[in-house]
Amino acid sequence: MGVDAKFTGREYGPLTYEIGKEKIREYAKAIKNEDPHYMDEDFAKNTKYGGIIAPPTFAVVYAGMLAEPFFFDKELNLNLFMLVHGEQDFEFFEVVRPGDVITSRGKIINIENKEKLDVVTLEGKSVNQDGKLVCKTVFTFVIRK
Amino acid sequence: MSKRDINDIKVGDTFSASEEVDKYRTIYYAGASGDFNPIHIDPEFGKAVGLGGVILHGLCTFGFMTKTVTDWTGDPGALKRIKCRFAMPVHLGDTITTEVRVAAVEENRATIDLKVANQDGAEVLLMASAEVEL
Repeated sequence: MGVDAKFTGREYGPLTYEIGKEKIREYAKAIKNEDPHYMDEDFAKNTKYGGIIAPPTFAVVYAGMLAEPFFFDKELNLNLFMLVHGEQDFEFFEVVRPGDVITSRGKIINIENKEKLDVVTLEGKSVNQDGKLVCKTVFTFVIRK
Repeated sequence: MSKRDINDIKVGDTFSASEEVDKYRTIYYAGASGDFNPIHIDPEFGKAVGLGGVILHGLCTFGFMTKTVTDWTGDPGALKRIKCRFAMPVHLGDTITTEVRVAAVEENRATIDLKVANQDGAEVLLMASAEVEL
């Protein structure tokens, strides 16, 4: 039993996430990236950003939240034991800073039924408190049948 | 940390960096990202599903790849796009090397091809590329 293509266009969110300085530090350490843009206030205040910024891939935290309602969508009924992360694409438009409030919306933009697997593509769009698009992301998941 | 200028780069320029996947990396990453899928944190579960133990989160490998690009530009905000296909699992103890190669330069924007491989030379990410504005 595959993923029904009728779910193309299904939406998730909006989900809101407030960016925290210490969470940025924790994430940066986890990916072994102690760039001073992310963790050193004295360095960061002398950059063109004027303060700490989040690593670009911090989007996995604020936009990655969309994965939860998608994975556990009872109607979509994904077989999570057979699901793998196939592809990932991030586009960045604005830097993200501590104190920003990011709102993300997700949408299934494609469902492809192949003989032995289904490919489901989830697009996420995240905007900041000023309504500016900060990140567009595309998660592609492969579910073996 | 110096910033790279668009006038200082040309097609064919390369840069590379490596990261070791230490024994506890998946634990740190699970905590920071919120992804506690048992294939990443429970060795018994990983063995039971045929992975031979825990595997690193694909997006952590993606983070290593991104770090190589942002270290090369010297400005994380210069990164405008980065993408890949996940090709094979990364295990604890692996060393992941990312090679940056400038593929195209147009005005203030450069397209970068990325090769991300383990210590055996096997590419763990495929079709990886980035775009930066300098």
